[in-house]
Formats: sequence, structure tokens, C-alpha cells
Amino acid sequence: MQFKSFDIVPHGTSYDFVGKRRIAVTLSLIVNIAVILWALPQIHGLNFGVDFAGGTEMQVQFSKSVDPGEIRKSLEGLGFKDASVQVYGPESDHAYLIRVGRIALLTPEDVARVVAAVKAKFPVQGQPHFSPEVGDKIDFEFQTLPSPADLKVAVESAGVRVREIREEAGLTAGSRSLAVLTQGIQDRVENDLLSKFAEAKPQVLRVEYVGPAVGRELRNQGFKAILYAMAIIVLYVGVRFDFRFSPGVIIALLHDAIITLGYFAFSGREFNLTSVAVILTVVGYSVNDTVVVYDRIRENQGKLKGKRLGDIVNISINEVLGRTFLTSFATALSLVGLLIFGVGTIFDFAAAMAIGIVSGTYSTWFIAAPMTIWLEERAARRSAGGAKAA
Amino acid sequence: MERTWYWRLALVVAVALLSIYQLVPSWFYFRLPPGERNGPKYEESVPGWAPNPKKHLNLGLDLQGGILLAMGVDVDRAVKAKVARRADEIADFLKDKGVPVTASAPSEDGTKVEVRSPDPKRVERVVLDAYGAELSAPSGAPEGAVWFAFRPRVIQDFQAKAVEQAEKTIRNRVDKWGVSEPDIKRKANNQIQIQLPGFKDPEKAKELLGRTAQLEFKIADDESTVLDPVRSELAPCPSGPEGLQLPLPQNGCWLVESVELPSGTQRQVTYIAASKRQDLEAAIDKVLKPKISRDQEIGIGEVVVGQGPIKERFYRTYLLRAKTELTGDYISDARPSVDSSKGVGEPVVVFTMSPEGGRLMERLTTENLHRRMATVLDSKVETAPYIQGKISTNGQITLGSGRNYQEKFEEANEIALVLKAGALPAPVTIFEERTVGATLGPELIKSGAVAAVVGLAAVMVFMLLYYRGSGLIADVALVENGLLVLAIMSLLGSTLTLPGIAGFVLTLGMAVDANVLINERIREELRAGKTVRQAVDQGYDKVFWTIVDSHVTALVAGVVLMQYGSGPVRGFAVTLIIGLLASMFTSIVVTRVIVDWFTRRDTARLSV
Repeated sequence: MQFKSFDIVPHGTSYDFVGKRRIAVTLSLIVNIAVILWALPQIHGLNFGVDFAGGTEMQVQFSKSVDPGEIRKSLEGLGFKDASVQVYGPESDHAYLIRVGRIALLTPEDVARVVAAVKAKFPVQGQPHFSPEVGDKIDFEFQTLPSPADLKVAVESAGVRVREIREEAGLTAGSRSLAVLTQGIQDRVENDLLSKFAEAKPQVLRVEYVGPAVGRELRNQGFKAILYAMAIIVLYVGVRFDFRFSPGVIIALLHDAIITLGYFAFSGREFNLTSVAVILTVVGYSVNDTVVVYDRIRENQGKLKGKRLGDIVNISINEVLGRTFLTSFATALSLVGLLIFGVGTIFDFAAAMAIGIVSGTYSTWFIAAPMTIWLEERAARRSAGGAKAA
Repeated sequence: MERTWYWRLALVVAVALLSIYQLVPSWFYFRLPPGERNGPKYEESVPGWAPNPKKHLNLGLDLQGGILLAMGVDVDRAVKAKVARRADEIADFLKDKGVPVTASAPSEDGTKVEVRSPDPKRVERVVLDAYGAELSAPSGAPEGAVWFAFRPRVIQDFQAKAVEQAEKTIRNRVDKWGVSEPDIKRKANNQIQIQLPGFKDPEKAKELLGRTAQLEFKIADDESTVLDPVRSELAPCPSGPEGLQLPLPQNGCWLVESVELPSGTQRQVTYIAASKRQDLEAAIDKVLKPKISRDQEIGIGEVVVGQGPIKERFYRTYLLRAKTELTGDYISDARPSVDSSKGVGEPVVVFTMSPEGGRLMERLTTENLHRRMATVLDSKVETAPYIQGKISTNGQITLGSGRNYQEKFEEANEIALVLKAGALPAPVTIFEERTVGATLGPELIKSGAVAAVVGLAAVMVFMLLYYRGSGLIADVALVENGLLVLAIMSLLGSTLTLPGIAGFVLTLGMAVDANVLINERIREELRAGKTVRQAVDQGYDKVFWTIVDSHVTALVAGVVLMQYGSGPVRGFAVTLIIGLLASMFTSIVVTRVIVDWFTRRDTARLSV
């Protein structure tokens, strides 16, 4: 009986993957380098989320019940990203805990302008202190204190609006310092909520900045975790199959991780803990295709002795083409719902994951498998060179 | 059919039924309206035949909220401890330099180091030469002494570090405790904010997170006679025929205990006692403090008397050498255990020291053989047994008496956990506790659920359309996979979050991969002209290792992720790992059982 089946990918294909390797590698190199450059903070950088960059937390009290969804929308309209609104305490309190990602309040240029303006008018001692992690506070130290009103005029002449000027004990004995608090998040949120929920009398009870330094550590750990996972996977594949596979696997893994990162770099979507999870999952998943193809290459190397390696690689990829395509397709299919209905982090999860899966299949066909030829050729050349020298 | 097939069938059916059984509590949990799920109503609603109602699927902070604790770290205490350490260092340093020093100790308010010396000017010069970057010498020191204070920047830096350390410790404790997906954030003003999902026992949380867990070993100063005059100042503790008469007088009373000294002689050691800790502390300040020298200190322990349910307790003192010989920092592992050496099983905490701690402990116990060593946990003397022999890396902490077995075991468990997770660098106070709602709005939760269902449906429909009969079999396996994952998650008490749900859907997608591999291989074998029976056997056999390999690599990613992430990412990793393990079983064993049934005859046909 002749077996018949419907195949999305027809069997018996003989597409020349190896022949396209130069174009594919060039293309991949360009894209990868572009992602890395774009993700560098000096050029563009990633848009780190609350997890990594810290954020601002506010406690807002209303006089009557308000839909938290509306508060979130209103905040997002203000430009705050990834706002979360939580009911705080018993429902009857109408209190909400709002957490938003940080937005740059004062740019370094703003700060420089303010400092220049203040220095021009008053004898500032030492270097004024500004922490970008706080974002809206500049500390000045003076030998003799100017009046807060005068200082306010000086600061506002630089185009930055002042909310409060506070006297604080100086860091060095005998000196006094003034802290200039600029119009920050609190005012912006309060004004906005007041205009939208006037009848519910919103009151911002407190504003706090949350978790910066740990974020930086977490970020470094995240990148380390990705590298560790890659190392272990490469080791496993090496032990299970052949360490000759390792270079190809490493290249393919790096390629897929970088492409997935590219989603966050170029879309400007938030890069947070879930994003690290996506990259790690892509790393663990995308190597599967590569292993399937490599395994077939090894099998065929035994079976098809005498054929050129390039042909063997092409035959192997084509033999398992349906499989590598369909497994990726099935997994990607499970993400469809998340892509259509998911919002925020979940959408990003699905989108980045889908890109990672596609990249995994692509890198298997066009990068990892042809890599073996390069390596074998190099090895052959080297041993030939060695033989000549001897 | 072969015998093994029946066994495999039994396994598959058993796993499915057990999974469903395990999900019974979760079913009742989610049937209740969200407001009542974590209340008493839930456990009442679970029928008696169901498994442990505590093992239900839990929703994360993003989906259902939980409790919020705000803790303040007492950084001033941490600074004082640093000052005390620095005082010792300065004394050693000056001794090395040959500068005469009478005393080096924290000043009255504890914020400065006060060094007394016949030559204060020289002390100031030598110390500032070495420590000038960190210390300054403020004016106002008494005659014949120099003060050294930390510079403000050093203090600020140190305080920030203490809060950072506290946050790490708390995170560690929550993780070790097994609460999945907490949200821990450091805030301004030396505060740490913790949110625990769907939490029912805030008291327990406060106890666990608020414990400083500062473990110290100190040697009892039993040779000293400085406290003997107390016998003429205070009344002796009143005793009747059945021992002490409780309650004890409010301003304290004295007692003696017979202690064997290392020299072999017996000595009556004086200590004082009171029924309330505050009373005893007041008596210590008034009566004992003026008598002891700088290198001595008073430890407080709790004593419980009486048998059975009626128990009374009082507090007593121990005269200790002030020097902390060893701290809990050297503990590498701790666990609760039961010591039955005294006939009755007694819950204890067993700990293992790091190699370095072990060396220190060995030296300490050899030098102080037959002396009493006090185990001080959070300024409370838990026990003060004689050192019977050399102790090195392994030790145990006997808990103060009182309480029943269960309570003690729970405490042992708790202490083991906090010892392992590390001590807080400074005491914390909990000054706010609130219930909080879900971080995501209901509209987002709903769209997340819809998304998951749509994704699943898409995968199942695809398998059915593309592989027909075999696709249907894979779908059945997929359902069992889903049930198994949820059942294991509820058993482990892991928390379902939105990223977790996405991870769940993804693992189901990956589970299908294995069936795609199998079916594609069967197609390939059929195309090569094999019979259905042969094709199935070959298909499963040849891709078995491929499936294992692909699962292992994904598992590696999952395990690394679990190590890295705390909070939401950990939940995702746990889901991923459970999903992968379940998928190995369902996609290989479950589908095989069904396929084998349909292809049991050589003439069978298989739609694949």
C-alpha cells in the first residue's frame, strides 16, 4: 500500500541551504551587530522596566470608588509605562497603590543649566549633587545661605519649575545645603488625576522611589544566567553528540538570543525580568532544531560515504525539513492567542518568543548546519598545511 | 496485547485519575468568589474525601493580590554594631603600633569610639593617619580620651549597605520558605516593602521575616564572683515545697545554681530572675550593670516550669563574657531534627558550620572545655550547656523549654530556615500590614485567560487537522499533560501568574513538538514502505533520544532561570520545568499506549 499524507512541507525537497550560506551569514551578521549596537546605552539602549530601572510608587486616596482600569489608562496617557494599580487596604478605603516605571524628569542638560544659573548668582560650595536615580532633586551647598525665594527664581530662570526648596544639614561640618525639588511625578500625577476624577477628590498621600540598585545587579545577573545556560547546553550537546558540534551550536544560540533581544531593542518595548525569561527559553528551545539536524548529518555521514560534506549537509537538512518546520510551527501556534489577546508584558513575551522560535529555525538551516562545512574545511586545510610543513 | 501494555495503560489511567483527584481542592477554591477564597469558607467547602485542602493552585500577586508588609531596618543599631567592632579594631591597631591604650569602647550614645589613653594626642594622630578617610575626631571628648566618629558619607554608605543586605536576606527567607512569587522592593527611608500573594497567615509572615536571627556563641563567666554581692541587695527567690513560687517579685530576686568549673571544683553561681522580661531588664540595669566589668555582659534566658498544659515561665540572667566568640555567619546549613538522647524526643536545630567556622568552633571548644557555652539567638540565651568535648563543624541548638512538641518543632523549623537564609544586619520593625488587590486589572486578567485558551485551541485543532487520528491521540495526551502540570503545581504550592500562564501555554506547545517528531518519523517510515506496526515501533524508538535531548536543553534553561530569578520569573521557570517533565511522560508514554492499541494487528491502519 502506498502511504499518502498531506504535508505542509513536501517531502523529498532538495533546497540548497548550503549554497546560500554566504548571503545568510552576511545578513545575520549585519542584523546581529545592529542589535548589539542599538542595545548599547551609548547609542540607544534598552528600555529597562521597573524590575531593572526602578520606578515610582504612589498612594492615592479617593473619596469614592474609582475604576482602577481608568486610573491606569489615565497614567499611561501621561507617558508612564507599565503602570500597575492595586487596591490598597480594604475596598471601602478607595485607596490605590500605583506603581509606574521611571520617566526621565530632569535630563543631564537641564541639571547643567540649573547648576550654571545658580552658580552665576550665589557662591556655591563644592559640586552640586544630583542623582539620576532620584531624578527630581538637586542639592546645593552654600557658605552663606541665599533665601529660598531667591534660589527659586534662579532655578526657574533656567526653565525648570520648582516645587519645593528644603533646607538640609550640609555634608561637611559648618556648611548648609538647600535641596531643590523640581516639579516631579507627584505634581504631574496629581494634576492629571484631579482633572479626570475631580468628583472623586483624588489625593496623593505619598510618593516614593522604589528599588534602583538591586535592579542593576539583577540585570547583570540576568545576562550572566543567559550565558551560563548557553554554556551548559553546549556542554550537554558536546557530550551527547560530538564536540565538533559545539562551535555551530554556540553561534546558533548567540544568534537566536541576540535576535530575540533585538525585538526589545528595536521595538522600544520594556525589557524586564520576563524578557530575560524569554531569551533563556529561546536558548533552551532553539537548540532542539539544531540538534535534530546535526544528528541527521552524523547519521548520514556514516551512510553516505564518499559524498561531499556540503551535499550531505543539504540532504540532511532537507530530510528533516518538515520536522524542524512543524515543531517550531506548533510551538509558535500556541502563542497565537497571546499575540492576539495579550496586552503589555504578555504580548511582548509572545512576540519575542515567536521571533526567537523563527530565528531558531532559520539559524539551524542557514547558519548552524553550514557552519560544520566551514569548520571541516578549515580542519582539512590545516591538516593539509601541517602535512606540507612536515 | 503484550503484558507490558496493560501495565502502561494502568499507569496512564492512574496518573490521569490522580491528577484530577489532586485538583479537587483547586476546583473548590476557584468556585468561590475571589473575596472568600482565602477565608475560612474555603476549607469548609472542600469535601472530606478530597486531598489536603491546603494544596491548591494559588494565584500570584498580579492576579489576586495578597498582603503587603512594610518593614523598617534599624540602621542605627547596625551603625552602633559597626562602631563597637571598630573600637576593637582600633585597640588592636594601637597595640600593634605600640601606643599605650587603657580602653577602647563605644561612647555612651554608641555613635563614637572612645579611646582612653595616657597620651590622647598621639592616639588621635596615629588613628587618623591610618583611618583618616573614614573617621574624624570630633571635639567634646572627656579628659584623657579621644573620640572617633565615622564620616557622614561612610555612615550613609554603610546604612545603604545594611538595607541592601536586609533585603537580600528577606528575599532569601521568603524563597526558602517556599512562598512563590513574592514582590520585594527597597524603598527610601531604610524601608523594605514585601508583598506576598494570597496570604492567609500574616502573623507567621511577620514572625519569620522580622526575626533578626543573630546567632552568637558566648562563654559563661562562671569563675567571676562579681555578682555574689547581689545576695545582700535583693531578696532570695521565694520557694515552696514544689520549687519556686511564681510569680516572682517584680523587682527581681536572686537564685544560685551549682556549676562545675573546669578545675573540677563546684561553685555556687548567683543569678537573678523575674517573671516579666521588662522587670528583669530593669533589675539588671539597676543591680547588675554597675557590678560587671567592660568585658562581661548579662544574657537573658527564659525558663518554663510545670508539666502538662499549665505552664508558667520566668526569665533569668546569665553572666557571660562580652566577647562574641562565634556568630551564625559561619553556618552553612541548618535543619530541624529530633534529639532523642534524653529518652524523650526533643525538637532541636542541627547546624553545620563552614570549614572556617568549624575551625573557630574547634579552637573555642578546646580552649573552654568543661565551661558553659551560651547559645544566644536574637539576644536571648536559648541554652547554656557544658562543653563536653571538642565540637567542630556540626552542632545543635536545644530550644528553651516550654511549649508542646508541635510548637517546638515548628520553631525549630523556623530557626533552621532563618539561620540558613542568613541573619539580618540590623533589627527590623514591621510598621505596616495591609491587604492589597491584584496588580493587574480584571480586564487584563480576562484577556490573559482568553489568550491562553485560544492558543491551546489553535494547537489542538492544528494537530487534529494535520495528523487526523494521530493528532487526536496527541490532543488526548495534551489534556493529560495539562492536568498533570496543574496537579503538580498545586501539590508544590506554586503560584500561577500571568507570565506563568504564558509559560504553561508555551510548554503545551512544546509538548506537541514531541508528537510532531514522532508522527513525522512514522510518516517517513511508512513512506519507506514499512508496515504500520513497524513504522510505529521505529518511529517511537528512533525519536526517543531526540525528544530526551530537546527536553534536557530546555530544562537546562528552566533550571538556570529558577536559580536566577526570584519573583515572577521563578514562577515561569517552575511552570516550564514541570511542564517539560510532564510532557516527556505524556508525549512518549501516553500516546504510545493509545497508538499501540489501534495498531495491535499488523493489518491495522493509522491515520497520521
